[in-house]
Amino acid sequence: MNVLIIDPDDARAALVAEGIRADSAHQDATIHHWPRFELARLKDINPEMVIIACESPDRDTLDALQIAHEQAPRPVAMFVDRSDANTTAEALEAGVAAYIVDGYSPNRVASILTVATHRFNLMQNLRNDLTKAKADLAARKSIDRAKGVLMTSRGISEDDAYKILRKHAMDTGRPMAAVAADILAISGLLKPGEG
Amino acid sequence: MVLSLKIGFSPLNDSALVLLGEALGYYTAEGLDVTLSREANWSNIRDKMSYGLLDAAHVLAPMPLARGLGLGPTLGKIIAPMALGANGNSVVVSSHLMTALIHDDKTKLLDTARALRDEISRRRAAGAPKVVLAMPFAYSPHHFVLRHWVAAGGIDPDRQVQWVVLPPSRMADALRDGVIDGFCSGSPWPQMAQLNGDGQVLFSDPDFWTLKPEKVLGVREPWANENPDGVISLVRALLKAAQWAKAADTADLAKILAQPGYVGAPLEAIELALSTEGAGLLLDPQTTTFPWISHAKWFMGQFVRWGLTTPEHDFDTIARQIYRPDLWRQAAASLGLDIPLEDEKTEGGEPVPWTLDATPNPILMPANELFDGGIFRSA
Repeated sequence: MNVLIIDPDDARAALVAEGIRADSAHQDATIHHWPRFELARLKDINPEMVIIACESPDRDTLDALQIAHEQAPRPVAMFVDRSDANTTAEALEAGVAAYIVDGYSPNRVASILTVATHRFNLMQNLRNDLTKAKADLAARKSIDRAKGVLMTSRGISEDDAYKILRKHAMDTGRPMAAVAADILAISGLLKPGEG
Repeated sequence: MVLSLKIGFSPLNDSALVLLGEALGYYTAEGLDVTLSREANWSNIRDKMSYGLLDAAHVLAPMPLARGLGLGPTLGKIIAPMALGANGNSVVVSSHLMTALIHDDKTKLLDTARALRDEISRRRAAGAPKVVLAMPFAYSPHHFVLRHWVAAGGIDPDRQVQWVVLPPSRMADALRDGVIDGFCSGSPWPQMAQLNGDGQVLFSDPDFWTLKPEKVLGVREPWANENPDGVISLVRALLKAAQWAKAADTADLAKILAQPGYVGAPLEAIELALSTEGAGLLLDPQTTTFPWISHAKWFMGQFVRWGLTTPEHDFDTIARQIYRPDLWRQAAASLGLDIPLEDEKTEGGEPVPWTLDATPNPILMPANELFDGGIFRSA
């Protein structure tokens, strides 16, 4: 059987493909990945199932095929009385929709869609972790630089500079990184010969 | 008590009222805690409404009707308690096709359709491929406008034109690469294509129909039934947004729309679309937000005309189940707007501003005329 994944996010598509292959029930699946939908190439693949990221603008092009062609993949949402409505809803919430050709096994659809949902959620969590790690790193850098500014301008130790920053943060109820950013902004203004 | 709800929108100028509701605090003022969800395609909006992931959305007017006619995924009904303005789309064609269709500034829209018929004949004689026209969604006003336009020129839209559904974000590229010959899209995509030199605007909605229905507020019926007061508050918030938009400076409106989380397109294109040279988007609460049953029937007539459904439906009942002027009246009356006495009006045949029966005062309506002089009486 043929599964087509349409996702502009290559890493996420790879994660979904790997998830489908890892399931013994779908070991025979041939999985294709297109970053965008290409109508002219659909015949070459003849997928039984299409998985598409909701963020892909191409979804409406794929969706319209059901009107023009009898044998075209149709949205899983059309078959909800036959498959599991929760599966579809969870998939949409995770940002993925599925299309199948008529007569395709509902059990396999549900299990592949569940895998795709989990992988989409996993990718989102990984991205969130990465964003947080980057923000943490940026915060630590500005705190270090703000300490440097305080040490130079006030002639104090690193430890004292840190205490001043922390006290400011606690007094104003703001994150230390925000206080540090303020200090850096002000120190920029005060630099001689600038502004 | 605060009522939380999620509203979906497609990043287009005609989502303005939904965006202004948040940007200017009209939702909050009505006791609504709204989370907006910017969606990349119409299918998402349709499906998310089906599964309750969205309670309401900015939708193409034919979408709730398609559902009412049993077309496509049909889980749960969507009602339309108000329209989100009128007009806002443009048709863009390649420079080559523009030259073939427009002779001088006296060329009328009907002439362009006839010129297209000649172009199609020329191409067929030369063994060249068919003319390809793109639209953003099958159940869309864009689709019906393009078909009505070409048919007016004596072209058989089913056999002589190739139709393709493309996301607006890919239309300009497809036009530049010669994959398509023209497209119809909501603003500001046509204006972006024009500014980038990818194509030229052949006509905009008002050239086709001076008061053309386009987007409606779609509300998930189960949500509306559970929150009868919430629906009225929502319509009130959007009517207030329209009151602001009607009086506002175009530059102020454009600045709000251009924000990244909203339409998020270049300010220049958004402003061009809203200008008098633009796509004719009207956001007047009094004349362009009433959910006319005659609009619903015109659209369903198009479904039948183009073979998307059969004539065996009780169109009057379906129209009245989906379009809900009763809810509009309730919300609008509480804001002191004038209330139309009828649910249906004659569409077309009003070349100049005209008076509509309403209470407490009659409403001065803009011209309501189709380019081919067609008149649609639904009642």
